[in-house]
Amino acid sequence: MTAITIEKVVRVFIAGITFIIIGLLVSIFSIMFIKGFPAFHDDFLFAESKDFGRAGGVFYQSAGTLILMTTAVLLSLPVALGSVLFQTEYLASGKFKTLLTQLTYLLNATPTILFGLVGYLFFGVYLDTGVSWVTGSMILAVMILPTLQVSLREAVEALPQKYREAGMALGLSRSSQIRRVILPQCFYGIVTGVLLGLARAAGETAAIMFTATTFSGIQFPQSFSDPVPTLQTHILILAQEAAHPESIAQAWGSGLVLLGLVFILTLMAWLIRTRVVMESEL
Amino acid sequence: MIQFKNFTAAFGEREVLKSMTCNLTGNSITAIIGVSGSGKTTLLRVLCRMNDRIENFHIKGNILIGGKDIFRPDNNVYSLRRKVGMIFQKPCVFPISIFDNVVFGVREVTKIPKKDYPDLAEKVLREVFLWEEVKDRLNEKATTLSQGQQQRLTLARTLAVGPDVLLMDEPTSSLDPESTAAIEKLVISLKNRHTILWVTHQHDQAHSIADRVLVLKEGQVVDLPAPIERQENPSSLEDVLYNS
Ligand SMILES: Nc1ncnc2c1ncn2[C@@H]1O[C@H](COP(=O)(O)OP(=O)(O)OP(=O)(O)O)[C@@H](O)[C@H]1O
Ligand SMILES: [Mg+2]
Repeated sequence: MTAITIEKVVRVFIAGITFIIIGLLVSIFSIMFIKGFPAFHDDFLFAESKDFGRAGGVFYQSAGTLILMTTAVLLSLPVALGSVLFQTEYLASGKFKTLLTQLTYLLNATPTILFGLVGYLFFGVYLDTGVSWVTGSMILAVMILPTLQVSLREAVEALPQKYREAGMALGLSRSSQIRRVILPQCFYGIVTGVLLGLARAAGETAAIMFTATTFSGIQFPQSFSDPVPTLQTHILILAQEAAHPESIAQAWGSGLVLLGLVFILTLMAWLIRTRVVMESEL
Repeated sequence: MIQFKNFTAAFGEREVLKSMTCNLTGNSITAIIGVSGSGKTTLLRVLCRMNDRIENFHIKGNILIGGKDIFRPDNNVYSLRRKVGMIFQKPCVFPISIFDNVVFGVREVTKIPKKDYPDLAEKVLREVFLWEEVKDRLNEKATTLSQGQQQRLTLARTLAVGPDVLLMDEPTSSLDPESTAAIEKLVISLKNRHTILWVTHQHDQAHSIADRVLVLKEGQVVDLPAPIERQENPSSLEDVLYNS
């Protein structure tokens, strides 16, 4: 085979795979829409769920998901940012840096059920915090830590060297360098990272299912040791009630809300990132 | 003022400066020329210890500025960098206001009170002949300035922290002739209070502004004879630059 035919084959192959992926995405989205849309009666988004989720809306579940995610990101952000800045600004040795990077990627690829299990044993059982807001957000925080770290590090490393050097040449100490050059210049990158972290947290179900949430009966958690209702649990429980078609419809509806949430977060992250790229090309 | 004593700088195995010994007098302009890759930038960067954090970079020997060894462990690298300011080839202003750019480094020097900032900014902006151009737009973003104005702004920003030594790495290579002339004039006006090292690729520029021209070649510096001497022996410039 000549180089040109190989090139053609590869191109067709890549195009094929791309089409399959796009097709999958489109079909998932359309199924979600077709199945989920009927649930969007009156004020599905802003009403309380009734009759064990078979009727009513998903307001508290959506709010609970947001609460849990936000707490997790708030817990995770300082740790992730601290470790990123330690790696990029303080560590000199390249080998150790590479090792840490590899570890983060490894952590990022760890099946989340393991985080859930270990987290449950550590927080829920050993620390005895039970099924609660605090247990769930701690576990989620640990789980999104690698994701957050990877995207924050990308943001910090994307900062053009010239800004660092300009600050350095003016005699800025490392801490002023971080405070006055790195953080302001990477602000949008960091926000993007946080949004992606939130999106990732919204996608995690396994770990929080049995550590943070209950199905019904509660609205907003009154304290950190209360459980939180979430969309994820709502969907799981409702989907198991095959005998009640209205439950299934509600589950699809909740699924659509969750999908929308993740979609909006990702879209925002993408918009901000595009803006950052434009700015850095100035 | 600046003394290199058997100074060697290397990236891993590759020695860029090889036990170089050289004295530069204070309050004068020294131009440094040399082919690309000969180590001109490295020579400037070691003077403000900008290469400290490059992993396989290491040095031997000493550099003394004002009699003090800059590499001594008890020497504060941040105050060294304020005393030895560096101007880069491409001006790099921060995407904040012109005023904030000028006082960017000053905010680190706690002994200068905040209320003195406007006067200080005006003083250094006048020194770089930029005041008249920007005095009505100090709150605009510095990125809106032209390249030549930005380069003068970075110089003002460096002057604001009160350096004794100015290291300039081809500061005019990305500028048009007018801005280049402005910077050259400016540097000559700064020489009575600063020791200036100026890296350039243009030999005529080197001779017109500098008191002394050094050629960096194979890790060593040699004096380049003044142009008058060279006319009698026209090949010597090329000799010094390219032949061993
Ligand atoms: N960070 C670095 N890591 C490894 N080698 C480097 C590094 N910086 C410079 N060098 C090497 O040191 C040598 C001198 O580089 P330097 O930038 O000082 O040259 P220069 O004289 O300024 O060249 P130019 O005129 O092109 O700017 C080159 O061989 C270069 O490859
Ligand atoms: Mg150079």
